Amino acid sequence: MKTLKHIIYREWSTRVRRKAFWLGTLLIPALLAGSIGISVWMNSGAEKEAKVLVVDASGLISRFDDRREVWLPTHPDCFPERSKLMYRFAPEAMGDDAFLASDFDLMVFFDDGILQHSSAKYYYEKAPAMSTERAISSDLASAIERFKVKRDLELDFETYKRLKTSIQLVGEDVVTRDGNATGRALIGFFFSALLFLQIVIYGMHVMRGVIEEKANRIVEVVISVVTPMQLMTGKIIGIGLVGLTQFALLAALGWLIYFAGGRWLEASDLLKATSDASVSLDFESWMATQSGLRFLLDVNWPLMVTAVAVFFVLGYFMYACIFAAIGAAVDQESDAQYYTIPALIPPMLAYLLAASSIENPEGDLSIYGSYFPLTAPIMMMTRIPMGVDGWELLVAIGGIGIMSYLLLLASSRIFRLGILTRGKRFSWKDLWNGLRSRH
Amino acid sequence: MEKGAALVIDHVSKSYGPQKALDAVRFTVPKGKVFGLLGPNGAGKTTLLRMLNGITRADAGSIAFFGEQLSRRHLPRIGYLPEERGLYKTMRVGEQALYFAQLRGMKKEDARAKLMHWFEKLEVDGWWNKEVSEVSKGMAQKIQFILAILHEPDLLILDEPLSGFDPINAQRVRSTIQEMSNQGDTTILLSTHDMGSVEEMCDEVALLHQGSLVLNGPVQTLRDEARDGRVQVTFRGTVMQFTVALGASAELLEVTSDAPRPGEHTAMLRLPSATDSSQWIHWISGTVQLTSCTEWQPSMRDVFMQAVKETSKVAS
Repeated sequence: MKTLKHIIYREWSTRVRRKAFWLGTLLIPALLAGSIGISVWMNSGAEKEAKVLVVDASGLISRFDDRREVWLPTHPDCFPERSKLMYRFAPEAMGDDAFLASDFDLMVFFDDGILQHSSAKYYYEKAPAMSTERAISSDLASAIERFKVKRDLELDFETYKRLKTSIQLVGEDVVTRDGNATGRALIGFFFSALLFLQIVIYGMHVMRGVIEEKANRIVEVVISVVTPMQLMTGKIIGIGLVGLTQFALLAALGWLIYFAGGRWLEASDLLKATSDASVSLDFESWMATQSGLRFLLDVNWPLMVTAVAVFFVLGYFMYACIFAAIGAAVDQESDAQYYTIPALIPPMLAYLLAASSIENPEGDLSIYGSYFPLTAPIMMMTRIPMGVDGWELLVAIGGIGIMSYLLLLASSRIFRLGILTRGKRFSWKDLWNGLRSRH
Repeated sequence: MEKGAALVIDHVSKSYGPQKALDAVRFTVPKGKVFGLLGPNGAGKTTLLRMLNGITRADAGSIAFFGEQLSRRHLPRIGYLPEERGLYKTMRVGEQALYFAQLRGMKKEDARAKLMHWFEKLEVDGWWNKEVSEVSKGMAQKIQFILAILHEPDLLILDEPLSGFDPINAQRVRSTIQEMSNQGDTTILLSTHDMGSVEEMCDEVALLHQGSLVLNGPVQTLRDEARDGRVQVTFRGTVMQFTVALGASAELLEVTSDAPRPGEHTAMLRLPSATDSSQWIHWISGTVQLTSCTEWQPSMRDVFMQAVKETSKVAS
C-alpha cells in the first residue's frame, strides 16, 4: 500500500507542478469564453454587406416617386435600411452583363404571378449568407402580407398587427418546478463535453506515461520493485488525481469569476442599465430578470459539480485501463493510433449522442445511453440537469463499476505482458493471447 | 536447500511459445561471493535475472533465496541494476533517488542520509537538484548504480554494470563492487560480457548457452580445466630453424613473428600428453635460442569461446 502511495504521489506531483498544467487550467475558461466570442463574432461577420435590387414587375410592393424620379417601396417600413442590407427598386430587370457591371450583389425578381406561387427568384454573382437570404425573404414577405391585408381585409395594418397573436410556450417540470428545459439541456451538454475532453485527455496521459517509461527503459527497474498491477493502478490513480485537481481549480476559478464579476457588476451601473428595474439590483436578482440567464439560477450547481467529479472518476478509470494497456502494447506513440481509434469510438459516440440529445434530452437514446457503461459517464451528465431517479444513477454507477473491474483485469494482463516487450507492436492476436495468459 | 547458498537455482525452465529460454538450469550461488552469470546474447541470462526479481515466473523448477523459496516478499532484500535502464527525465536527481529508495521500503530520512554518502563517494554530489535531462550518461549510470545498492541488499544483481562508463568511472564502480564483496555481507550476481571484469572480480561463474547450463565452477578451476597442453615459447632465430628443430616433438599451432620484440618470435605449441614438459624445454633450448617458455593459461574469454563453440557443435 505504501509503494502504491509513492507511485500515486509521483504521478500526481510531477504533472501538477508543470507549467503546462497551470497554463492549461487557466486557459480552459479563457478558451471556452474565446470560442463563444469567436462564434458570435463569426456569426455577425457572416452577414456580409449586400445591396439588393428588387425588380417588381408585379407593381405590388413599389411605386414611382415623381418628385425624386426613383422607384421606392410602397411601405418603406417593410424595408428598413439595415447597416448591412440596402434595397433599391426597379420595374424591369437588368441584363446579366449590366448586373455584373453594377454595384448590386443580388437581384430579386417579383413577377406578375407572385401572389399565386409565392416564390421569387434571385440572381447573384457571389452567393449570399443564409442570414442575408432570411432577412430579404422576411422583408419581402412582410411587404406582400401588407398588400394582402389592405386588399383582402381592408384593414389598417396597425389594426392587423394588434390582432395578430403569437403564443410563447413556457415549460415547467412538474417534479422540479424548473422551467427552461433547453437551457438545462445546454448546461448538461456543456458538462458532457467537458467530461468527454477530460476523460480522453487524461486517458491519453496514462498511455503516454506508460510509453515514456518503456522508452526511457526505466520500467524494468520499477517492475523489479513493484508489481505491474501496482504500477498500472498507481499511474491511473495519480493521473486521475491530476484531473480532479484541475476540476477543483476550475470550479474554484468559476466561483471566483462569478463572485468577483458579480460584485464588480453590482458596483458599476451596468446592471441597472440593462434591466427594467428602477432600483439597484444585486447580481442574482439581475440574472433573474434576464430571460437568457435565468435558468442558470435554477441549476443545482453543487449536484452538478459532484456529479462531474463522480462520473469523471468512474469514466476516467474505465478508459484509463484501456489506454494503459495500449501504452504497454506499443513502443511509440505513433504506433498507438492503431489501437486508440477503436478505443475512442465509445466516448466519441457518447459525445455525439449527448450533442443530439440537446433537442430531446429525455428521449430513449439519452436514457439508454446513460445506462450503457461505456457511454454512461458522458451521457448521464446531459440528463442530470433534467432530473434523474436515484436508481438510474445506481444502474449507471454500478454498470461502470463492473465494466471498470473487467477492464482492469483484462488490461493488467496485457500490461504485464507488454510492459517489458520492446521492438514489436502487438497484433490483435497477441493481445488476445495476452488476455488468456495467466502470467 | 544448500547451506551457505545465497541462491539455489534448481532445474528452472521457461519457454516463450515454442522458444525455450531456459532449459532445466541448475546451479548454486554461494553466499558473500561475486558470481558471474555468463553467456552469449539470447542465452537466457536476462530471463533468469527477471525471475530472480519476480518480473517473470518459471514454468518449472524452483529458486531458493537464502534457504527459502523465493517470493515477492524477498524483493526488498534484492538490488537490481538491469542492462536496460533509465531514469525519469523530468524529475530531479535527488527527488528521483528518494522515490526509488522509498519504493524499496526505506524511510525518507534514512534514504537521504545514505544517498548523500553515496553521492559524495561516487562524485555525484552537486547534481541533487538537477533534472535528469541535464545529467550526462555516465552520471546517470552512477545514479542508477547507487539506486541499486542504496538499501544494502543481501543479493545485488548487476547486469552489465560497467557498460557506458569511461575507464576512470568504470574502475571506481568496480572498486565499489569489490569493496562490497570484501565486506562479505552482499552476494553479487554479475552478468556481463566483459571477461576482464569476470577474471578480476568473480569467484565463480555459470555459463549459459541456448538456455542450458554449459559450465559452472570457480573461475580459476575453469581456467585450469581448460588447459590442453599448449605451451607458449618465445625464441630468436628463424622460424624455419625452429620448425626443423621441433620435428615431431610437438604440434606447432601458431607463430607470430617479431613479437614481443623485433627479432623474436612467439609460437603456440601443443605437446603430446605423455611428454614431460621440463625435459622437453631442456631439450629444445639446446636446439634453438629460447627467451621464454610458459604453459598456456586460457583466459575466461578463451574458456567462454571454447565452451560456446563446443556446445554449438554438439547442437548442430
